[in-house]
Amino acid sequence: MQYQCSLDRAELIDLAINRYFANVDAKNLDDVMACFHDNASITIQSAFTVHNGKENIRRMFTGFMNTYKTIIHKDFRCTVDERNGRIAASFVAQNEDHEGNWTTLNNTNFWRIRDDRFQEIHIYMSGENPLT
Amino acid sequence: MIAKPYEYYVDIVTKRYFHGVDNFDMPMVLDCFDKDASLTEVTSMTTHQGRDTGIRMMFLRLFHAQSRIWHGNFVHTCDVDEESICSQFSVEVTPRGTSKPLRYENANRFYLKNGRFTEVFVYMSGENLLK
Repeated sequence: MQYQCSLDRAELIDLAINRYFANVDAKNLDDVMACFHDNASITIQSAFTVHNGKENIRRMFTGFMNTYKTIIHKDFRCTVDERNGRIAASFVAQNEDHEGNWTTLNNTNFWRIRDDRFQEIHIYMSGENPLT
Repeated sequence: MIAKPYEYYVDIVTKRYFHGVDNFDMPMVLDCFDKDASLTEVTSMTTHQGRDTGIRMMFLRLFHAQSRIWHGNFVHTCDVDEESICSQFSVEVTPRGTSKPLRYENANRFYLKNGRFTEVFVYMSGENLLK
């Protein structure tokens, strides 16, 4: 599906890295959810898992933020397709559970933006899916 | 060096690289890579180093193991400024000695210099085929 996007290159990066990932790491759930359309979807492609609609996405993030004491996304390498409203980024994801165990993943996200928010996210993970 | 246009990145990925892989055309495949390129399968953190050494050997093993390879259903995220293209796609392979194709939903990140791949990162939805 091709969407009409109103964001320029800098705004696409800001949406993905600052408005989305920085708020995931800070566990600001409402600010994270503000990045999504009501009928958005998140697909963890490497695990064949799909979360459809904002309520399911909120439930997924609530579980994720409760499961991990510390959530860190860093070392972003962005590929920005301004003409098509798409951005991809590779990054390191580090999660610490409540027993102090750390998990490190080398992931890549693909975002498709409609107007000024996420319509689709596709996630490819290097290990076990924590977004259940 | 004049920047390559948007369509160059889509074409090298689809019309040269994956077309070469799907047709078992080793020269066409290797011509897409810089001689010092690396290809990493991220799920298993397996890196194949060097166009004419590690990458060539990896494709020899792949072509030996499969009787049919098909890549399609592409969605590209292409960044001319960063000389990179990230592609999502479907893969079907049929291992030699079998008749049932295996289906994967994969993604590759390609980083280029002077029009050739210098780094390729592969995410696979199933078992790593790029051993």
